[in-house]
Amino acid sequence: MSRISLIVPLLLLTAATPEVPARPPAPELPPTVMLQTFSPREAMSVLGHPVVEADGQTVARLIDVLVDPNGQPVAAVLDFGGFMGVGIRKIAVFWSTLRFESGEGAHRIVLTLTQDEFKAAPEYRDPEKPAPVVMPVVPEARPGQQ
Amino acid sequence: MPRKRATKTRATIGLDLLNFFIAGEQTGFGPFVAVYLTARQWTQVEIGFALSLGTITAMVSQIPAGVLVDALRGKRVAVAAGILAVGISALLLVAWPALLPVLTAQVLHGFASCVLTPGIAAVSLELVGHAALGERIGRNARFAALGNGLAAGAMGLLGSYVSDQSVFLLTAVLCVPALATLPFIDAKPPPPPRRAATRRARRSELVALLTDRRLLMFAACAALFQLADSAMLPIAAGELTKQKGTQANLIIAACILVPQAVVALLSPWVGLNAERFGRRPLMLLGWAALPLRGVLLAMLPNPYLVVAVQAIGGVSAAVFGVMLPVIADDVTLGARRFNLCIGIFGLAGTAGAALSTTLAGLLADIAGDRVAFLGLAAAGLAGTALVWLAMPETRSIEAPE
Repeated sequence: MSRISLIVPLLLLTAATPEVPARPPAPELPPTVMLQTFSPREAMSVLGHPVVEADGQTVARLIDVLVDPNGQPVAAVLDFGGFMGVGIRKIAVFWSTLRFESGEGAHRIVLTLTQDEFKAAPEYRDPEKPAPVVMPVVPEARPGQQ
Repeated sequence: MPRKRATKTRATIGLDLLNFFIAGEQTGFGPFVAVYLTARQWTQVEIGFALSLGTITAMVSQIPAGVLVDALRGKRVAVAAGILAVGISALLLVAWPALLPVLTAQVLHGFASCVLTPGIAAVSLELVGHAALGERIGRNARFAALGNGLAAGAMGLLGSYVSDQSVFLLTAVLCVPALATLPFIDAKPPPPPRRAATRRARRSELVALLTDRRLLMFAACAALFQLADSAMLPIAAGELTKQKGTQANLIIAACILVPQAVVALLSPWVGLNAERFGRRPLMLLGWAALPLRGVLLAMLPNPYLVVAVQAIGGVSAAVFGVMLPVIADDVTLGARRFNLCIGIFGLAGTAGAALSTTLAGLLADIAGDRVAFLGLAAAGLAGTALVWLAMPETRSIEAPE
């Protein structure tokens, strides 16, 4: 009871919907702490989420996010391919190659690269080592340039 | 007399089906657990920990599980407990994918697997006796390969089109028919094997077993076999994904299923001929196929040919699967340590397998997949040389029966 009264619904139109991801606040929240509730449309969970191609086919799963020193996402690490877990490759793609489509209920992560553009990229293995990240394809760029 | 024969037939078919369903039950575990936990929002570090825990459990339990099965009078009870434990692990994964239940499931499954392998072999030995064990183990391997292949196909479809939970639900369901076969395998337990009278005699018996050249040699051969074999499929499959993207998924499925078909076809033949011509010729065949496969995988230009090369792996798998229990029986003939011996071979094999993926992964990182395949082929060649030069023939010409 008291939990709900503590929540300040700034952006939410409907009252607490079942999908509200906010954790229940600790019983005695200091009065200085403001609480804001985000719907999955506004802030979506991405870890373990399927990644689809433009045609809607699932190609991968997002398993990690690499961020810069400011905490801004730089790249997404994807689990790609395989059968029953055999033959999976971990590939890092530049963050902007992903498009996040939040819909009602189901949201999608769409990869704007085609498989030919990233399937042969070197594997992302060790968080402590420089990560090979597949960059977006620039229209005028040609193979062999750069 | 006819009644007795009917009982025997029922037991034979019961054991066939037991192998079939247990192999099916085991299929969902392995790399698929990582896929499943990824979708449950597990981090890579947590998944790595859970999988390592499973591997370590499967390694350290081999020998204790073997000793346990040796000590039990009713081997079917051990098998039943193993089946149930695997089913419970699957249910834990589905119902409660949090850290503690998943770790429990991994430990439970690791230990249960170590009980099931010697348990099935012990039930088989009770049913047919030493003289016919090769033939029976060949049959076991056939039905296990069929169960494994069919379950992999079904679970692949379930995972893609239904949900990844359904894979473990099917695993749990397979428990029921597996358990249902057990009452039919109604072998009269043989008289308790002779047991040395004094503690001192028992100890010297154990020392004699543990220093038996046949045991040590086969353990080394098993370790080298797994060292060469285990990493070949994962690296070949990763290479396929690199070349063909998600189109490779079906080829990878074929790389898993085709060798199982070969094992199903070949195992009974291996079992029969192990009795007829001895263990060494067949071991040479199975072990020598490893370096051949490694070199072919290193040279292949065409992804579809990988399936054909993996089929060669089926020959190796059929020989290994039959030889392990058969040689354990040869070594321990008349003594009470059959399952301990299987545990020792199992430990050697799992250690080799763990080392295989680590070393081949390192080689692939440093020098590429081709060199990794050649490294695995070299391990296979070393194993073949060991079989040729040092592995004694273990078949006894006149089996006491």
